Amino acid sequence: MTELQQELFEKQLVSIAKGMEYPRTPNIAGTVMKRLHPSAPLRFVSRRFAWSLTVILILFTSLMLIPPARAAILEFIQIGIVRIFRAEPTPVAPPQQEFPSTMIPVTATPSSAPLIPILERLAGERSLEIAQHLVDYTILIPSYPPDLGPPDRVFVQDADGNMTILIWVDPEDPSQVLMSLHLIPPGSWAVDKMEPARIQETTVNSRRAIWAVGPYPVRFSNGNMDFVRLIDGHVLIWTDDEITFRLETELTMEEAVRVAESLEPINQ
Amino acid sequence: MDESTLVRHAMNGDAAAWEPLVLAHQEAVFRLSYLLLGDPDDAEDIAQETFLRAWNYLKRFDPARPLRPWLLSIASNLASNRRRSAGRYLAALTRAFRNEPITSVNVEQKSAQHMEASDLWKAVQTLSLPDQQIIYLRYFLELSVTETAQSLGVAEGTVKSRLSRALNRLRGIIQQDFPVLAEGHEGRKV
Repeated sequence: MTELQQELFEKQLVSIAKGMEYPRTPNIAGTVMKRLHPSAPLRFVSRRFAWSLTVILILFTSLMLIPPARAAILEFIQIGIVRIFRAEPTPVAPPQQEFPSTMIPVTATPSSAPLIPILERLAGERSLEIAQHLVDYTILIPSYPPDLGPPDRVFVQDADGNMTILIWVDPEDPSQVLMSLHLIPPGSWAVDKMEPARIQETTVNSRRAIWAVGPYPVRFSNGNMDFVRLIDGHVLIWTDDEITFRLETELTMEEAVRVAESLEPINQ
Repeated sequence: MDESTLVRHAMNGDAAAWEPLVLAHQEAVFRLSYLLLGDPDDAEDIAQETFLRAWNYLKRFDPARPLRPWLLSIASNLASNRRRSAGRYLAALTRAFRNEPITSVNVEQKSAQHMEASDLWKAVQTLSLPDQQIIYLRYFLELSVTETAQSLGVAEGTVKSRLSRALNRLRGIIQQDFPVLAEGHEGRKV
């Protein structure tokens, strides 16, 4: 074969080989990572057991605190995986508790208690780039306000689907969370908001969105367990392409919508 | 974060940095294993073992070099060992005796392009293992000569000379045993 013939033959081989049908590549990364941490399932079981105990205690305490009239839930609004329950207005007496778990939904509350210690116990902290590798949806971050910049902390948590939590810390008080954005894929844990002080419908990019004003307990649950946390910040909830977004902030609703509508992929 | 930074993190024991690297290269590793073994389950086993071994021997890897050729060299060695095992040898003999194609895919259902690729694969499978490895890396996975040399642990000049010989042998086999491929579907004559 001359050099020219070989070059032509090589081009034809590449062209034909492109038509090769391969089986779908299995989830090798998932299996490999599990095999690198063989004790992880055992830890998970014991952690889950600890959670269950805690949740039982929390729910028991909650039931003791809630007057019977409050059990009469009139209706709920569903948006994405989030359900917002409305009830007759009564004084809210939600439980105040610390969660021992490393998987605590982070909230941007104006609470006096510093949130950073909670963040230090939160599992799954990643860089933004690695987080994007780990989830099968595009991570979006706000481009408004212009000086916001990338999130200070990024977490990817397995909530029956990799949920991404982006945290912006208050530059004037680094012990406080300024804003947090949850990106929750379908099939994840359900999120129930119980009787927010105020609910308002709005739109994000012409899609229906809900603005909920605290304080209210929020319950995160799946088939096995659930746990409750008190929120007294404001939350904007909307969906886009099957992802449910929860933006927790102390901004006004109008400003929160501007933030929501400014979301862009991380590399733009 | 670029690949070499992730590799450096992984070398320091950060398993979280290893995961995106596995994700980035799992398809190429799986496909090479599949080409060499012809069985998706075997290929999955080899691909998993490749990434576990690579993790265990990461300290020996030069993070300034690209990771993919090194992973493919591990996969290639593991797949070669698997092929040499008694069980696979007997299975190959059984297939040859029955004169069945190495895959269970119904050839009639394939498009012309897929049939060509399947014929080419069958032709390559008749070559020696070293010839198969170099052809899969260079033309099926489309590695450059440099990457192919890194995967095989030889000089680039060696890759070129081995390729030349392997291509001559492949061309002869195609002309003799795969006349349809030699004539070419859709006017692509090999």
